[in-house]
Amino acid sequence: MSDSPNPGDDYCQIALMPSGRRGRVKRGTNLLKAAQELGVELESICGGRQTCLKCQVIVEDGYFPKHGITSAASHLSPLTTRELEFNQNQRLEGRRLACAAEVLGDLLITVPEESQARKQIIAKAASDRIMEINPAIRQVYVVVTPPELGDTRGDWERLADALREQWGISQPTIDIKALPTLQTALREGDFAVTVTLWQESEILRVQPGYREGAYGLAIDVGSTTVVAHLCDLRTGAVLATEASMNTQVRYGEDLMSRVSYATSEAQGLARLNRAVIQVINDLAERAAKTAGLALEDIVDVVIVANPVMHHILLGINPKELGGAPFALALDSALDLKAREIGISLHPSARLHILPLIAGHVGADNVAVQIAEAPHEQDEMTLIVDVGTNAEIVLGNRQQVLVASSPTGPAFEGAQITHGQRAAPGAVERVRIDPLTLEPKIRIIGYEDWIEPGMAKDLPADVRATGICGSGIIEAIAEMYLAGVINASGLFEEAAADKTWRVRYHGRTGEYVLVDSDLTATGAPIVVNQNDVRAIQLAKAALYAGTKLLMAHRKVERVDKVILAGAFGSYISPLHAMVLGLIPDCDLERVVAVGNAAGDGARFALLNRDLRLKAVELARWVQHISTPLESSFQDEFVAALNIPHARDPFPHLAAIIPQPVLQNQASRGHNRVRNRMRS
Amino acid sequence: MSEEIDITQLETSEIFELIQDDLYDGLADEVVASVKELLKRGLSPYEVLTKGLVAGMDVVGVDFRDGILFVPEVLMAAKAMKAGMEILRPLLAETGAPQIGTMVIGTVKGDIHDIGKNLVAMMMEGGGFNVINLGINVDADTFIKAIQEHKPDILGMSALLTTTMPYMGVVINTLKEQNLRDKVIVLVGGAPLNDAFAEEIGADSYCRDAAIAVETAKKLIAIKRGELAGD
Repeated sequence: MSDSPNPGDDYCQIALMPSGRRGRVKRGTNLLKAAQELGVELESICGGRQTCLKCQVIVEDGYFPKHGITSAASHLSPLTTRELEFNQNQRLEGRRLACAAEVLGDLLITVPEESQARKQIIAKAASDRIMEINPAIRQVYVVVTPPELGDTRGDWERLADALREQWGISQPTIDIKALPTLQTALREGDFAVTVTLWQESEILRVQPGYREGAYGLAIDVGSTTVVAHLCDLRTGAVLATEASMNTQVRYGEDLMSRVSYATSEAQGLARLNRAVIQVINDLAERAAKTAGLALEDIVDVVIVANPVMHHILLGINPKELGGAPFALALDSALDLKAREIGISLHPSARLHILPLIAGHVGADNVAVQIAEAPHEQDEMTLIVDVGTNAEIVLGNRQQVLVASSPTGPAFEGAQITHGQRAAPGAVERVRIDPLTLEPKIRIIGYEDWIEPGMAKDLPADVRATGICGSGIIEAIAEMYLAGVINASGLFEEAAADKTWRVRYHGRTGEYVLVDSDLTATGAPIVVNQNDVRAIQLAKAALYAGTKLLMAHRKVERVDKVILAGAFGSYISPLHAMVLGLIPDCDLERVVAVGNAAGDGARFALLNRDLRLKAVELARWVQHISTPLESSFQDEFVAALNIPHARDPFPHLAAIIPQPVLQNQASRGHNRVRNRMRS
Repeated sequence: MSEEIDITQLETSEIFELIQDDLYDGLADEVVASVKELLKRGLSPYEVLTKGLVAGMDVVGVDFRDGILFVPEVLMAAKAMKAGMEILRPLLAETGAPQIGTMVIGTVKGDIHDIGKNLVAMMMEGGGFNVINLGINVDADTFIKAIQEHKPDILGMSALLTTTMPYMGVVINTLKEQNLRDKVIVLVGGAPLNDAFAEEIGADSYCRDAAIAVETAKKLIAIKRGELAGD
C-alpha cells in the first residue's frame, strides 16, 4: 500500500452540457462555483441564496462513454429544505439549484438555456431579399347556404359546394382535426366563415366570420443549432427569429456519434427524436410569444435538415447513414401534418420537408441552393457551407455540382487546444504585427480591439475564454503572414528569436495569443503546432473537395465565393483565402450570407413554387463523392500547405509570396536540404 | 543552398548520413544514387536497407510524431524511400536477407477514408515492411482471404467513423472463428479510436499515428519472434 493518498479521490469529474466544458473539481465544491471554475457562468440574481431559482440545472443519469463519466442524482448533496419546498410548488420540476448542491461524485450536468448567464449567439436575423409571396396556404371568406328542411346535405358538403361556387375549388377536402369545429364555426359566423386552405385543396381551419392571419414557421435543424423563422404567410414578413442549441448534443457531439447512439442504445433513437422535437416545440413557442401570437395561429411549417437530422426527426433510424454506401431511407420531399411527428401548433398545421440529394447532402443544402440560386447565375459560383461536414456547391445555370467534405469539427473550435464555440468571451478576430509579432484581438461581446497590457483598462468581465472558429482561422492566417509559421505550417525557429511569444515545448512551438491577465482562467491562451495541423487538415479537405468539383466542371477559377452557415458569416474572406480554405478569387466577390439554409426554408415556406423547384433541383444537381475520386489524395496533400503547395493566388499577390514551381529535377540540382538535426 | 555533392568522394558512413538527409527532404533521385553507390562499394542490400533507408525513415517518423514534419513531407520521404527500395527489393530476395515483416492493411467496411490508412501503409513500407494495401470499404472475407494468401505478420485496420469502427471487432471475431487470430498481430487506428476500444475488441494495439504504427509493429514482431522478453 502506498502511504500517500491518491489525489484523485478528492476530486470529481464534471462535464457541463451543452458547452462541453469539463474538468476536475474538489469534492464538496458548491455546484454553482464548480461551474464557474470550469468557465460556465450560470444566471443568478439572488447570488446563491436559493431564492431566485435562476441557476437550475439538470443532472443526467447513467454512464456516458463519451465523457467516461457515470453521473447520478446521488452525486450531489441531498435536496435542501428550500428545494423540497420549490418541488412541492412544481417550480423546479426535478431540476437542482446549482447554488444549493455540493459535488460528491462525477457528474454530467445539462445547463438549460434559460439558466446560462452568457447565452449563445448564433445567427443573425433573417436577411431581406426580394421574392414573390406565393404561400401554400391562403385564407378565403365563404358564405354558406344555411340548412333547411329538404336540403339533406351535410354542413361540410354545403361548405364544399360554396367553395366550388365562390372560389372555384373543385375537390376540397377537410383535415380530420378541423371537421369537429365546422358546425360551431358556421353557426357562430352566421354561415359566413373564413377557411384556411392548403394548396387550393385541403381545409385546415374554419373560423367564424371574416378573419385575417395565417402564420408559418421555417426551421433549419442543424446538428449543433436549430433556427426558426416565424413568418406572416400573407405579407412574408419575418415576425420572429429564434435559435437554440440542438439538445441532442448531450448524446453525441458530432453526427456520427449520434448515429452510433441511435444504433447502439435501445432507447437511443427515441431519445434523439424527442430531444429535437422538444427543441422545435420550444422554438415555436418562443417565436409565437415574441410575435404576440398563439401556437394555434401557426398553420404551416417547412423543415430543412441534414440527412441524419432528417431521419431522426421522422423517427427513422439513421443506421444506414453511418457507413458507405450511405443509403437514405428516402430522398423525396414530404408533405405531412406537423402533429404527425409531434410538433404542436394548430392541430391541422401542415409540414413540408424539402428533398435530399445524397447520403451526406441533405435538405439543408437544397435550401441553401434555393436561397442562393447558383442555377440562375451565369457566373461560376462556389458556395461553401462550413460546418462539421462542409457542403460544397459549384456551378451556374448550365450545371451545378455538389459534394460533401468531412472537415471535422476543428472549424467549430473542437480539437483546438483553447478552442470553443462562438460565445461571449471567444476570440473572434486576430491581428499580428509582422514586425513586433505582438497580437491584438477582438472577443465576442466587446466592441474594441484588445492589445496586450490593456487588462487594467477593461471592464473586469471582459476576458477571453477561448478561440472560436473564425478566431482560429484568423490567428493561423496572421501567424503565417507574420512569419510565425511557414507555408508548411511549421513554427519558425527564427520567430522565437524575435519574440518571447513564440516558445518551444521540447521541439514543438506555440504562440502566446492572449496573455494570462486578459483571460478568464488566468492562464494564457496559445495556438500550438497541433492546432495548426488540425486546421490544415480541415481546410485541406474543403479545398480538395472544391478542386475536384472545379476539375469536374472544367474550370480553373471561380467568379464568386459564397460562405454560408452561421460560422461562415463571421469568417474574414481575406484570412480564409490566405489560409487556403477557399480558392483564389476577387476578394470583393467573396461574400458571407449567414444561415442560408434557414433562408431557403423561409423562401420555401413563402413560395410554393420554390418547393417544386427544390424537387427539380435535387434531381438535377450532380452529386460527386469526393473520397472516391482518384485524385482526392493528391489534391488533399497539396492543399495542406498554406495557402497551397502549387495553386497560385494572384489576388493575394500583394501580401503573400506566390508558389515557386519546382519539379523534382530542379530540386535535385539545387540539392535543397531542410533537415534540422536535433 | 546550392551545392553539388560528388558522392563517389564521400566516406561510406557519410553516404549513409546523406541518404537519411535526402529521405528527410524527399529527394528520390539522390536516394537512388546513394543506394547504387553503396551497392557498388560491395555493401549488402540488407545493410543498405536497414542502415540507410529504414534508419532514415525512423528520423522522419520521429519528426512526424512530434508535429515537425507533416503529411506532405512524409509522403515525399516515403516516395523517395520507395524509389530506393525498388532497387533493393530484387537483390534482397536474391540474397535471402531476413524479412522485416509483411502487413495486410485496409479501411473497414462502410468506411471510405483512404488517406490516413495510406500514410500508415507508406510509413510501414518506409520501415522496411512488405505492405499489401486492400484499400477502403474492406469486408471481413476480403481481410481473411488476404491473410490466408499473404500470411502477414501484421493486420492493420483503419476506421474514421464511430459508426464504422465496431466492424473491426467483427473482423477480429472472424479471425478467431477461422483460427487465424494467433497468426497475426492486429493493429488498429483512426481518429475516433483509443486504447480502451482496441482492448475491448481484442486487437493487439491501438496506434495513434503512422509513426507509432511502425514502432509498435516492430516491437510486437520482435516479441513474437522471441527476440524480446517481457511485455
